[in-house]
Amino acid sequence: MDSFLNFSNENLWIEIWPELCLALAALLILGLDLFRKPDSSRLLSGRIAILFQLGLVIFHLFDYLVWHHTFDRVAFSGMLSLGIQGDVMRSFFLLSSLLVSILGHQYLKSGSLRCGEFHHLTMLATAGLMLLVQSSHFLMLFVALETVAICFYTLVAYNRTSEKSLEAGIKYLIFGALSSSLLLFGIVLIYGVGANPEAWGAVFAGYESQDPLGFKYISNLLESNPNNLLLKAGVVLIIAGIAFKIGAAPFQIWVPDVYHGSPMPVTAFLAVSSKAAGFFVLLNLVNGPFLGMAEFLMPLLGFVATFTIFFGNLAACAQQNLKRMLGLSGVAHAGYLLVAVMASMQFAGNSDRAVWVLFFYLFTYLLASFAVFGVMGLARLKDEMDHEFSVYEDLVAKHPWMAFVLVSGIASLAGIPPFAGFIGKLLLFSVAFEAKLHFSLIAMVVGVAISIYYYFGWIREIIFKPRPSFSDETEENEKDLWVKIPSFSMFKLCMITLAICSLILGIWQGPFGDAF
Amino acid sequence: MESITPQHYLILAFLLFSVGFFGVVLRRNLLLVLMSLELMLNGINVALVSFSRASGNLDGSLFVFFIMTVAATEVAVGLALLVALYKKRKSVFSEDISLLKN
Repeated sequence: MDSFLNFSNENLWIEIWPELCLALAALLILGLDLFRKPDSSRLLSGRIAILFQLGLVIFHLFDYLVWHHTFDRVAFSGMLSLGIQGDVMRSFFLLSSLLVSILGHQYLKSGSLRCGEFHHLTMLATAGLMLLVQSSHFLMLFVALETVAICFYTLVAYNRTSEKSLEAGIKYLIFGALSSSLLLFGIVLIYGVGANPEAWGAVFAGYESQDPLGFKYISNLLESNPNNLLLKAGVVLIIAGIAFKIGAAPFQIWVPDVYHGSPMPVTAFLAVSSKAAGFFVLLNLVNGPFLGMAEFLMPLLGFVATFTIFFGNLAACAQQNLKRMLGLSGVAHAGYLLVAVMASMQFAGNSDRAVWVLFFYLFTYLLASFAVFGVMGLARLKDEMDHEFSVYEDLVAKHPWMAFVLVSGIASLAGIPPFAGFIGKLLLFSVAFEAKLHFSLIAMVVGVAISIYYYFGWIREIIFKPRPSFSDETEENEKDLWVKIPSFSMFKLCMITLAICSLILGIWQGPFGDAF
Repeated sequence: MESITPQHYLILAFLLFSVGFFGVVLRRNLLLVLMSLELMLNGINVALVSFSRASGNLDGSLFVFFIMTVAATEVAVGLALLVALYKKRKSVFSEDISLLKN
């Protein structure tokens, strides 16, 4: 018993209570769904999941706003390092998971798909994401990454009655597994050199930590050997693996297909949580263990960011399918965020400002994306994957509140004042300017200008009158295109809150304002 | 007589990894793509074990177990998806699975 208590105290299990709660609740929901009586409501598990996550979000905010659990700390003998940035990301993932559950609840109401597994997988993936952003050891990083990835493969293919969803799942699985293999090979190369430096022509400096997979050890190793070929290859492979996850060019090929085929709530989940986690891990790596290689990485990341911005925006212009367009515009957003990561490398040692700008941008992206995907999920189409521009013709006259939420989301994504996206982009520009990344800054400005074109095309469809049509049949069909939402429902309330939040954040930055 | 050094193992691991990589990129049969993914991970395992053995640090050998577990789950999900897709399309060739175009 004593040794058990010692084990538990040494490892600080209490530090990961949100993850433990999420995982336990996920198991509970799965069990509940298994033993549910056939005549009881199939939506019960969704309600439980939403209520539970709402409670967890509130409690977690209390935990670190009121009780100030924000000092840096290390748990599980160096596997996890927790601090204020990790806590902000945790709240981000909890909030996004709550919104995915709300969207998923609405999505599963109409279909014949099972509900319990959806919420189970969402919560497990979120627990994995929360561990991923706090890991400071490559073993932890790999296991958390794979937990997330395997939940996502299943979620993408969740609508198994649809061939497109299954196809997207297979594609995501193959590309995801390929990217994790690249990442893993990079880790192995660094481990090989780190465990036995003399054999590979590296210098052995006195290290603080003895763990060749821990971030601290690798940081020392790379600082003393910035020119070792194997170490360089390892770093490039790890960056390539993460670039796959965030959908940065030239590793963006899977993005349009997977966004197109996956169910709407999962597309939102992929766009927000998965990408945000990738960025935070990248940020952790380039400001932690890979700092010694900064000179070598800067041009590489600069090239990737510029290429990503241009590719994403230009390819999105040509798309007719809205889900594909949003996927490619997400690629462009990944490019903008990469510039913020580069800026944080330029301010080495004093990167907090760039990091907070990145957080603010991610947060506005969360609000806008969930508003857009939430409304898109309400369209009842023959094939739910085929969102064309014409579906949204004259939405403002049919359902004003949906049009308001959708337009606020699109405008925030495009960066039009007075929405939060504008402030996010402005801060990103200012940070890039301060970091003297002039070339990337120009690429960003041009990219944003291009993106206005396709976002405005969509807004035009929603707000302005449709082209005159002469066939009566289309009129008949359009009448019941949108799912009826009762005037007071949780879903509607949540969507309108998202839109209003992104409006308010555009005018008053409140808690974030102090950080700039 | 020359003995086998970690460098030789690294070359072997790299070759296995490349065979797997090109298998994933070039193969048309999705079952073979899944097998190639496994091959990549096995190449990584060879490198890990040899590094771990050469340096006397056991972390690498431990890592291999995690990789094997992950590879098994990945393939389980992959095969399940493939079976579900096969029921619909009656094919496991990638050229028959291309509904997701503009």
